[in-house]
Amino acid sequence: MNIQDNYLKNKKNIFFSDNKNIQNYRETLINIFENDRFDKKNNESLKNINLKNFIDFKYKYLIPEETSVINNNQENSYSIVSVNGQCSSFKDDKIEITKILDEDYNDFSKNNTIENNDHFVNLNSLFLNSGFKIVIKKNNNIKIKISNIITDDDLTIFQKNNYICEEGSSLNLIEEYENKNNSTSNILNVIKLEKNSQLNHFLIQDNSPNHNLIITSHSSCKKDSTYTQKVYNFSEGYVRNFHYSELIEANSEVDLQGIFFLKDNNTSNNKTFVKHLAEDCKSNQVYKGILNDRSKATYFSNTHVDQVAQKTEGYQLSKGILLSDNASYFSKPELKIYADDVKCSHGSTIGPIDENAIFYLRSRGMSKIAATKILISSFINEELTSIDNEHMSEIIQKKLVRYLSKVK
Amino acid sequence: MNSDTLNTLDTYSKNKYKYGFVTEIDDEKPKKGLNEDTIKFISLKKKEPVWMLEWRLNAYSKWKKMKEPKWANLSFPEINYQDIYYYSAPKGFDKKPKDLSEVDPKLIETYNKLGIPLEEQKVLAGVAVDVVFDSVSVATTYKGELEKLGIIFCSIGEAIQKHPDIIKKYLGSVIPPGDHSFSALNSAVFTDGSFVYIPEGVKCPMELSTYFRINAENTGQFERTLIIADKGSYVSYLEGCTAPKRDDNQLHAANVELIALEDAEIKYSTVQNWYPGDEDGKGGIYNFVTKRGLCAGKNSKISWTQVETGSAITWKYPSCILKGDNSIGEFYSVAITNNFQQADTGTKMTHIGKNTKSKIISKGISLGKSQNTYRGEVSFLRKAEKARNYTQCDSLLVGNQCGAHTVPYIDSKNNTAVIEHEASTSKINEDQLYYCRQRGLSHEEAVSLIVNGFCKQVLQELPMEFAVEAQKLVSISLEGSVG
Repeated sequence: MNIQDNYLKNKKNIFFSDNKNIQNYRETLINIFENDRFDKKNNESLKNINLKNFIDFKYKYLIPEETSVINNNQENSYSIVSVNGQCSSFKDDKIEITKILDEDYNDFSKNNTIENNDHFVNLNSLFLNSGFKIVIKKNNNIKIKISNIITDDDLTIFQKNNYICEEGSSLNLIEEYENKNNSTSNILNVIKLEKNSQLNHFLIQDNSPNHNLIITSHSSCKKDSTYTQKVYNFSEGYVRNFHYSELIEANSEVDLQGIFFLKDNNTSNNKTFVKHLAEDCKSNQVYKGILNDRSKATYFSNTHVDQVAQKTEGYQLSKGILLSDNASYFSKPELKIYADDVKCSHGSTIGPIDENAIFYLRSRGMSKIAATKILISSFINEELTSIDNEHMSEIIQKKLVRYLSKVK
Repeated sequence: MNSDTLNTLDTYSKNKYKYGFVTEIDDEKPKKGLNEDTIKFISLKKKEPVWMLEWRLNAYSKWKKMKEPKWANLSFPEINYQDIYYYSAPKGFDKKPKDLSEVDPKLIETYNKLGIPLEEQKVLAGVAVDVVFDSVSVATTYKGELEKLGIIFCSIGEAIQKHPDIIKKYLGSVIPPGDHSFSALNSAVFTDGSFVYIPEGVKCPMELSTYFRINAENTGQFERTLIIADKGSYVSYLEGCTAPKRDDNQLHAANVELIALEDAEIKYSTVQNWYPGDEDGKGGIYNFVTKRGLCAGKNSKISWTQVETGSAITWKYPSCILKGDNSIGEFYSVAITNNFQQADTGTKMTHIGKNTKSKIISKGISLGKSQNTYRGEVSFLRKAEKARNYTQCDSLLVGNQCGAHTVPYIDSKNNTAVIEHEASTSKINEDQLYYCRQRGLSHEEAVSLIVNGFCKQVLQELPMEFAVEAQKLVSISLEGSVG
């Protein structure tokens, strides 16, 4: 079934179908699909993707019977369970959680500039069937943990989440994606950081081989705000991590980091895009990947420095280790710079594990496998030790050990 | 005078004679536009065999189905291919300036700064000189020496007639006519270019240059160059020259193919200084060049060095296909853009064989309102065991209205291959500037010194006689926009 028929057939179940403006917007999206037809040749971000799963899918969505739980187990700490992308409303003096509304949707589709050619974001806007909005109120410092649960097989979740950190607030956000069924999640996080706010965002992804996860985030930072994102991808199914950031006011900072561990026939597509639109801003993009067996990965990064964004500091780093003959890694770290007083650099390396280092360890009496494992751990050590949450670092260590046990 | 000299003088004078009948040449000009008749006309003019005409027509039929590549970071009005003359006979005497006083004084000023001798200035500015004796005799003595070694160095048109076997075997083998729209266009309508064949085991004793080749005065807008280095041979080839060249043709689409067989080495250096348009971005050459080298044999090596300062638009990616085991590809580039120039240049290294190595050093400098992009692809295919790449691309921004962009594509399919890429973008270091100014240099001199230092890694790869001129050229390119 093509996208248009699919949409018309399931229109009733899709959010905001009765809103005229949104309907019109969706029609333009359908036209984009019709004209472009997911042209792989001219769109490198579609590289390695098995498109059939995403164009020819069977739309299925179940409204969760049990409304999701919000637990205020400790002061300033919340734990949220989002079921099929939905979450019940909640309000106290620190945070407010609601369903997403038409205006949130409109707000995004109006400001949707950099992702214009991102088909998966467009699919998300078209088939939207879930999502929530979290507002962190002024000058609060809180922690939130979100577990994303999908109840049935073959569900197609199209979810939009809005995160707003009001002035002076600080949020520590941990998101877990651990699903063992054959569903597809297409999630878009829209993140807004007001003046002097802070968001530390951790994403742990560990899905089973038949679960597809497409996650896109769009963050915009106002004056003196900081957005830090760390993605740990241990999934055995397809994962797409595309993260766009805009530094719209002076002295803001964004840090996008990711590590992915791939094996078997798995594929992962990654992208980070930072747009410097104001002066004195800093950005950092670091992605590291370990690829085993027949796995494939791509990483696109882009630092765009606008003409007004003087005194910018922008750094990119991409590193890949190929453990097998059949693994492949494609990286494209782009710099687009229109201002002259900037410090920007990027580095990218792809290669095997350093033979000399293996030799050194083996000469100390270690087996080859043990040496390889130690070197892989040290490759990502910096990212692991920088986690300041003990519980999380434990979880990640466990997953790493599980991955390493399959390395031969 | 030996017979060669006489022959060349003979042909030269005959050519001149022909040019005398201006009206006649006008009649011979094909009509504007590209169609099969134009191609047949070119082929006829070049007295080409039938197979060559068929080859051209085949390329033309491919071109008709193709669209221009649009991925480059360039903006320019659409090219109207039907509004171009595809075969322009050399200009007659009366259209040429009679002596240097009629030439644009700006041009002469630049020549003087570069230290180009008066006689050469005349040739470059297109002054009608009866016979440039110096140049001809120099060329013929060289030609004799090359012939003794069995080296073939002639125009591609001559090679098609005299060495059809080699041409048939190699022409289009590295850049297939159907590769992309500019290569198809060039294959259909190319009119001139060089052909070099270095036989087995021969080390070419001198730098070969288009400048020494007779009839090179009008290299034409659709140049086609083919260089073949047979087993164990070596050649260094220079293209272009540091002097600014004015040209009426807006569109240039050259194709250069290099083939290095076992143990052979080719070094190809380019200095491109076509007319970049004026301060307001009007005019200037559109330069769409396809350059590709094939390291076909074991232990072969191809090295590209380029200094790009001219052209309104530069679209150029000298690449290496490293097919033979242990082969080496190198790319050194300096690209300077000023005023409204746009450059999208870089390289492509495709590692196929085992132990292949490549090195990329690219320096981009943007001034004024220009846009300078490095675009490079390094790919390791499955069998490229122990392949190695090192890429460094640095950009320097002078002024706050220009742009510097870096777009590397890195693709590895082999787990023993190692790839390293680093890039940086910054403006001129204030401390260095301060130091130079303190030592009594003017601001402009200081910037020029620092930029030259920034490019040194590339400039030192140029052959001696080019290197000095290239340094001056870098300084001249910076003029007027610093301070």
